[in-house]
Amino acid sequence: MIDDATLTALALRARDGDRRAATDLVGHTYQQVWRMLVALSNRRVAEDLTQETFARAFRALPGFRAESSVRAWLLAIARRVAADHLRAARARPSIDPRITVEDADPAASGEVGDSVALRELVDRLDPDRGLAFVLTQLIGLSYLEAAQVCDCPVGTIRSRVARARDELAGHLTGRDDPRDAHG
Amino acid sequence: MTDCGPCRECLSADLDGEAGTVPASVTEHLAGCDACSRWYARVTQVNRLVRTAPAEPGPGLSDDQLAGLLDLLPPPPAAPSRARRLGRPVARVALALVGLAQALLGGLPLLVPGVAAVDPHAAMMGAGMMHMSHEYSAWNLALGVSFLAGAAWTRHLAGVLPVLASFVAVLLVVSGVDLVDGEVDPARVVSHALVVLGLVLVVAIVALGAPRPTLGPVRADLDPLPDAPPRPAVGAETGTGGPAGRTHRHRPNPAARHRAA
Repeated sequence: MIDDATLTALALRARDGDRRAATDLVGHTYQQVWRMLVALSNRRVAEDLTQETFARAFRALPGFRAESSVRAWLLAIARRVAADHLRAARARPSIDPRITVEDADPAASGEVGDSVALRELVDRLDPDRGLAFVLTQLIGLSYLEAAQVCDCPVGTIRSRVARARDELAGHLTGRDDPRDAHG
Repeated sequence: MTDCGPCRECLSADLDGEAGTVPASVTEHLAGCDACSRWYARVTQVNRLVRTAPAEPGPGLSDDQLAGLLDLLPPPPAAPSRARRLGRPVARVALALVGLAQALLGGLPLLVPGVAAVDPHAAMMGAGMMHMSHEYSAWNLALGVSFLAGAAWTRHLAGVLPVLASFVAVLLVVSGVDLVDGEVDPARVVSHALVVLGLVLVVAIVALGAPRPTLGPVRADLDPLPDAPPRPAVGAETGTGGPAGRTHRHRPNPAARHRAA
């Protein structure tokens, strides 16, 4: 995995108009931005939102001061892009963009080991918990970076990740075991 | 004894290497609480699944999309013009020379008494002309030193400007008046040109500015947990680097691990 120092160097060169560095920067971060936007919206719009995120990031590069990690900076922009999209979508009298075509409950099929089923379970997490889970488990941010992206305290990330695990663990057994309720 | 909620939160953070040292109260609770043991076993199972699941590759950008994005990049900074690049060092050397000349102009009359051609018996404002000459020499010497120092440490130059500019402005005005009144020898006024030249050079150096500031230092204190194990690449540019490479971290409860296995 590319390290933060390299990403920072690429971002600073891109800030000075280096197209090659900017291309590399996109190459190294696209998947993570896309994955996060899937968590914040859905697969249909995530592609457009990812593009919009990089567009905003490139326009904002002159103000980039390398004060947080490039990934945290970029994903924070992605979060705002997703928030703007949701706001715009809500203003339109159409279906909620968060509602995706519902398939059968993946857990009910018993294919708990299937990565696709797991993916869908992650998609169905409570939005805040899902975001914290995706950022820390799938994208690999530290809790602090995830907190920077979400603009919330580190403790909130910690508790959301735990709750997300709780939810996923519940789905794995197909149902919540009442004996496992918090004491 | 710790409650289940905080205990599970701590265990969850520990799975990510974010819990620091797991408190003994948590391990004790885990050992004594069946519900939490089962929970921990399932959660570690979830973790294994997440880490072994291949990353889902995103669609990526087409060449056209990428080109459109790259057009949004800030323009490259214009290369500094030749005049700008050379102007500053030249001005600094010139300022150093002016400073040297100015210091000599001030220092010589102090060291070599004959140079200051004044009538030793004339008096002015309670001081002999000889003393006035000494004061003037000291001031000239100080200006010379400030030019030399400014040429060497340019970042202090802006601070010299107010003193220097007001001195030159007043000097020019009174010199003009004295010339008209015939109170001063024109040759004496010409010697002030050195100070004026110094001022011009100082202004030039300040205006040409420092070279574009280098990229700000990357804050090394950003990584909050330098001891944390490396994070996995998930769906990096290849879209195949799953989280499988992530190292498993220690689990505080052997019993739970046994159940998870």
